[in-house]
Amino acid sequence: MMQADLTVILPEIVLAVYAMLALIGAVYSSRDDLAPALVWLTTAVMAGLAVWIATGTGGTRIAFGGMFIDDGFARFSKVAILVSAAVVLVMSQDYMSRRGILRFEYPILVALTSVGMMVMVSAGDLMSLYMGLELHSLALYVVAALRRDNVKSTEAGLKYFVLGALSSGLLLYGASLVYGYAGTTVFAGIVQTVSQDDLSLGLLFGLVFLISGIAFKVSAVPFHMWTPDVYEGSPTPVTAFFATAPKLAAMAMLARILYDAFGGISGDWGQVLALLSLLSMFLGAVAGIAQRDIKRLMAYSSIAHMGYALMGLAAGTEFGVQAMLIYMAIYITMNVGTFAFILMMERDGRPVTDIRALNLYARREPGKALAMLILLFSLAGVPPMLGFFGKFYVLRAAYEGGLIWLAVAGVIASVIGAFYYIRIVYYMYFGDEGEELDTRSSPALWGALMACAAAMILGIVNMFGVEAAAAAAAATLVN
Amino acid sequence: MSLFLIAALPFLGACFPALLIRAGRNASAMSAGAVSLLALIGLLIHAPSVLRGEVIAARLDWLPELGLNANFFLDGLGLLFAGLILGIGILIILYARFYLSREDPMGQFYCYLLLFQGAMVGIVLSDNILLLLVFWELTSLSSFLLIGYWRHLPEGRQGARMALIVTGAGGLAMIGGMLILGNIAGSYDLTVILQQRDLIQTSPLYLPALILILIGAFTKSAQFPFHFWLPHAMAAPTPVSAYLHSATMVKAGLFLMARLWPVMAGTDAWFYIVATTGLVTMVLGAVIALFKDDLKALLAFSTVSHLGLITMLLGFGTGMAAVAAVFHIINHATFKAALFMTAGIVDHEAHTRDIKRLGGLRRLMPVTFTIAAVASLSMAGLIPLNGYLSKEMMLEEAAHTAWLQSTWLVPALATFGALLSAAYSFRYVAHVFLGPERDDYPSHPHDPGAGMWLAPAFLVSLVVLIGLFPETVAGGIVAAAAGAVTGGDLPEYHLKLWHGLTPAFYMSAVALSGGLMLLWGHAHLNRAWTNSPRPEAKTIFDAIVGTATRISRILTDRLHDGALTRYAAIFVAFTLGLAGYAWLSGTLGPQTRAPLEIAALPLIGWIGVIVSTVLMVAFHRRRLLALILMGVVGLVVSVSFNYLSAPDLALTQISVEVVTIVLMLLALNFMPKETPRESSPVRKTRDAVLSIGAGLGVGGLIYALMRRDFDLPTISEYHLNNSYSGGGGTNVVNVILVDFRGFDTFGEITVLGIAAIVIFAVTQAVLSGPVRGRLLNRKPDAPQSGDAHPLMMVVVTRMMMPVALMVAAFIFFRGHNLPGGGFIAGLIAAIAVVMQYMASGFGWAAERQHVPYHGIIGSGVLVAAVTGMGAWLAGEPFLTSAFGYVHLPGLEKFELATAALFDLGVFLAVVGAVMLALESFSRFAWQPGIAPEHAMDINPARDLDPKNPEEV
Repeated sequence: MMQADLTVILPEIVLAVYAMLALIGAVYSSRDDLAPALVWLTTAVMAGLAVWIATGTGGTRIAFGGMFIDDGFARFSKVAILVSAAVVLVMSQDYMSRRGILRFEYPILVALTSVGMMVMVSAGDLMSLYMGLELHSLALYVVAALRRDNVKSTEAGLKYFVLGALSSGLLLYGASLVYGYAGTTVFAGIVQTVSQDDLSLGLLFGLVFLISGIAFKVSAVPFHMWTPDVYEGSPTPVTAFFATAPKLAAMAMLARILYDAFGGISGDWGQVLALLSLLSMFLGAVAGIAQRDIKRLMAYSSIAHMGYALMGLAAGTEFGVQAMLIYMAIYITMNVGTFAFILMMERDGRPVTDIRALNLYARREPGKALAMLILLFSLAGVPPMLGFFGKFYVLRAAYEGGLIWLAVAGVIASVIGAFYYIRIVYYMYFGDEGEELDTRSSPALWGALMACAAAMILGIVNMFGVEAAAAAAAATLVN
Repeated sequence: MSLFLIAALPFLGACFPALLIRAGRNASAMSAGAVSLLALIGLLIHAPSVLRGEVIAARLDWLPELGLNANFFLDGLGLLFAGLILGIGILIILYARFYLSREDPMGQFYCYLLLFQGAMVGIVLSDNILLLLVFWELTSLSSFLLIGYWRHLPEGRQGARMALIVTGAGGLAMIGGMLILGNIAGSYDLTVILQQRDLIQTSPLYLPALILILIGAFTKSAQFPFHFWLPHAMAAPTPVSAYLHSATMVKAGLFLMARLWPVMAGTDAWFYIVATTGLVTMVLGAVIALFKDDLKALLAFSTVSHLGLITMLLGFGTGMAAVAAVFHIINHATFKAALFMTAGIVDHEAHTRDIKRLGGLRRLMPVTFTIAAVASLSMAGLIPLNGYLSKEMMLEEAAHTAWLQSTWLVPALATFGALLSAAYSFRYVAHVFLGPERDDYPSHPHDPGAGMWLAPAFLVSLVVLIGLFPETVAGGIVAAAAGAVTGGDLPEYHLKLWHGLTPAFYMSAVALSGGLMLLWGHAHLNRAWTNSPRPEAKTIFDAIVGTATRISRILTDRLHDGALTRYAAIFVAFTLGLAGYAWLSGTLGPQTRAPLEIAALPLIGWIGVIVSTVLMVAFHRRRLLALILMGVVGLVVSVSFNYLSAPDLALTQISVEVVTIVLMLLALNFMPKETPRESSPVRKTRDAVLSIGAGLGVGGLIYALMRRDFDLPTISEYHLNNSYSGGGGTNVVNVILVDFRGFDTFGEITVLGIAAIVIFAVTQAVLSGPVRGRLLNRKPDAPQSGDAHPLMMVVVTRMMMPVALMVAAFIFFRGHNLPGGGFIAGLIAAIAVVMQYMASGFGWAAERQHVPYHGIIGSGVLVAAVTGMGAWLAGEPFLTSAFGYVHLPGLEKFELATAALFDLGVFLAVVGAVMLALESFSRFAWQPGIAPEHAMDINPARDLDPKNPEEV
């Protein structure tokens, strides 16, 4: 029994054990110059695990009495999490090494938070969900404040921690209410009690607090307040990490708990999600306009994007989940590419984040500017870039789920939001003469930028098969 | 040739010019021309069958689940547009070859041009609205590249951004419209949608779909109020302006309206939105065009005006108007492209486009003059040119169109528009070519080589030919295209020059003569125009952008001012709102439990908690006081646990309370005595409202829930039933800790130990750094007590030490069956030792402490682990407990359980962890001034100043 359970959770165990061994090894040798090697090793381990999970056994396996579920949905999310985390790690290495902030803790913390995320998306029980969430969050709190000698970075980390603790408290409060009224913490048990007609108030309160707690992790408005500060304050590679894997993990976790535990009352949570989605899309679109710092801008951009992904979930249908997964996969790819570009923005070796620094960038670096243009248009959701397809999926899901007003609002928000992406393009192609950025680029960053931009164009052929995978994943979650 | 190939050819061919530029500019231009020509030939092969009324289709499933298919079809409308795009494309390629200078990267230009061409062809051939959207935005994108190609833009870079934002945003809005349309029709294929007229027009979502799609079409075709971007996009090189901004891209919006005409047109909404917009645009564009001095700006606004005219015709929704619209699309494309090219020639030769600096070019540039004159007169609507024909049809339609029961409004405005159109057309000829020759041209103008005027000359010959023989030259394509627009039979009509003395003829005559008069009085009018205040579209656009930025800034400043308190306030407020929503939408059920009676004692305790909480809020700035109040609250809570029959909890709580208060006392040592005052009254009120709301909400929720029975068997029942039989203990809490959830406890003590060791390690690291120096030199902000170790306290604590340890042992041993246990006992023992540290000083206590705390922690964890593993000997899983009853002579029968051994491990780990943590923290407080002397042998004179022994 135990043996079988452990087999199911083996990838998580491998990664966790790796992280601990690496930590012990690094502490004993106490050599920070080993950090680059450790980054590559961690990347290799995570990539290997991703391949293993992607090619491993199919079907749905349940372990530890329902606490841990390994199904198509979990595997889809895990592969996306591991791959994006690995790519971001590789992108960080050069940037952090040159600025002397690459410590051996960084790859280890990323590995640990990845373990947490993997548990989150596989959780079949409120306990294991919380366990994964906290492992993930604790590692992230530290990563956010990685640059200890920088006031902004530490402040961002502290804010994130305090608000994160608040949200964890809410989540726990909700979980205990749910437990009290459902009599169990296993999702499969909860779903049987909530599918009854008269929904008890205790469960409803529990659900609301659970959603509030998770909305913080998703950075949905109005639980998004930490996002701009953390994005701006953290070192850029960390921001890139924040913008990718954790967002997907939180979304997947939300989908998991809503469908597995509260699948019978999708009408009730659908409304709450629709409200969060609406607020996120508009705030992200409007607040982004005034931003001059590209990292803050990307923070609002990610808030808006989470609004769209929530739209897919709010639809409450299998197609909605599929749309959300596709949207998140595309979102991650776009963000990896964009951050690869941002990581290359520097002048005299110092990072620059003001978008006005991109003036006439296209003249000096036509290739990179074109790639960034493609990514930005994709972020704005302009056809034929892949971003358009993501948006179209969620809009259709919302429309077919009866949320026509939300779909129309989403379109309007995307029109507003297009403004700030296009403004960056404008600076790159037209802007005024100004101080120039360095043209240096590391192979890893250049490769990531170009690959992501190419994916935005080539992906429209068949989306690299993500569509079918997402459909299969959604089918395992919604039934 | 397959439609796929026709649509793909420009894309595939786009790489040739870029590559062949190495072989010279001619090779590059030739390759671009050859690609376009090939596509055009492929198209023309299909022309005969399309003109017969057939529809050619090519289908390919792409992402069927999304409804996106690569389906193409070619009907009359598609043929007309594709022909225009490819045909004029070839002419533009020829023209650009000679227009562009040596410095311009020509390969790149043709590459972008072909990409754009491909996108346009894609739009007009698409049989799937999603595919159409894809190509639609591709045109925006490639046009952006084309405009941006001109590296040394003189002015109006802002224009490029404006163009992109307006058309891009319009395209995004259109996505929404297409989504709704496709869902109403049940398919995204145009051939299917076009069959669903009734379904679409009766749908409640018809209007939103219509508006969203029209936003897309209007922005693309520069219709009022989005007309302002087009003139500003004129910063592009002239071939681009001629191709994109007169012949093709701006007509994409018209194409879309024509394409969806069969299902969208015919309703009141369609008429009032489309026809009105068109009418307004036509007049407005013409007025502005009349007063523009920049040649290209004049042409740009005239384009806006003519696009408005066509939009208006489509908006009328009648078959005849559709014919006129299609015909005018052809005519406008021919004369306007020719005009742009002549403007480009003038600019190229005279090095200026300012009308004020031109004039009298007639003799210097006779060929250009001829071309420009014919094209302008056609634009003015002069018989026998093609512009006259379609203008007559337009006026004829306008003559019998009523707008809100007013029969004169549309005809009058249409005539006025035509009048203005005539005026600016005449002006173009008169002010540029006629008049006296000047001697101050920036460059000496003369006719260019044939390469540059061949293309416009060809177009102008079409202008004349269509004018003279309309039925022969254009009849077939007009019929086929108009048939495709209306989707059915066409009304009886004749394309001919002379229709007799119809109302349209008189209107036309008024327009032409009025136009001449306007030209005559232009100088006066122009002065009046320049002096009159008028809204400038660009300033309005900038104002809108500015306002949006301001709103955005206010929003971010208000919301994200960086204050954590604000974030938390919003967080809490929203959660309260959500909870309120949940409260309203759920059912609570009847109260099933009677409230308990309120006795005096708990009431006093309750009041005590509330009073101290309120006092805490009032005095929280004075830290010591706040700490004491916190202690009071903790104490009352502990007592209340005991009162509510949870003695274990009470014991644990009180021990934890003591330890934490001690810890915080230590921390206070390093902090200022008072917290600074930062909050404003407003913020205080806000926070008060929020916290009272949240507190009452949570309290009310708990109260409401406690008044009701749970439907499910509670987990405590299970433990109560199994505690004695399964775990051998009657104290359920302890049995849970050491047996039921023993594995958790094992994990917890491990974590506790790790935490303590981490605290120790961090302290060690900090104290070995520069912090140590600062700590040593710290000046206390308050005078310190002269007697660090008061005798009374020292004596009492030492006497209490063995007693406290006895209590700990007692609590430990009774734990399995009565309140108590290893955890509480550990805390009590730790407190006993801490008292020694506090009373007798760190040094004294440390001297007498022989066992290192690390060791105690480790032994605790080891004992627990070994106990757990002991179960393996009995073949049971880890941590299975066993118990038995033993008789020892001289003693009563007593129970021995392995759980007690496990509890010992807990005890040791707790003692070690608490002591290690406290000891580590207190090392911060250690100062050299306090000697580690024997605390009992205090010399009272120690603190006296040796120089001045009297003063204390």
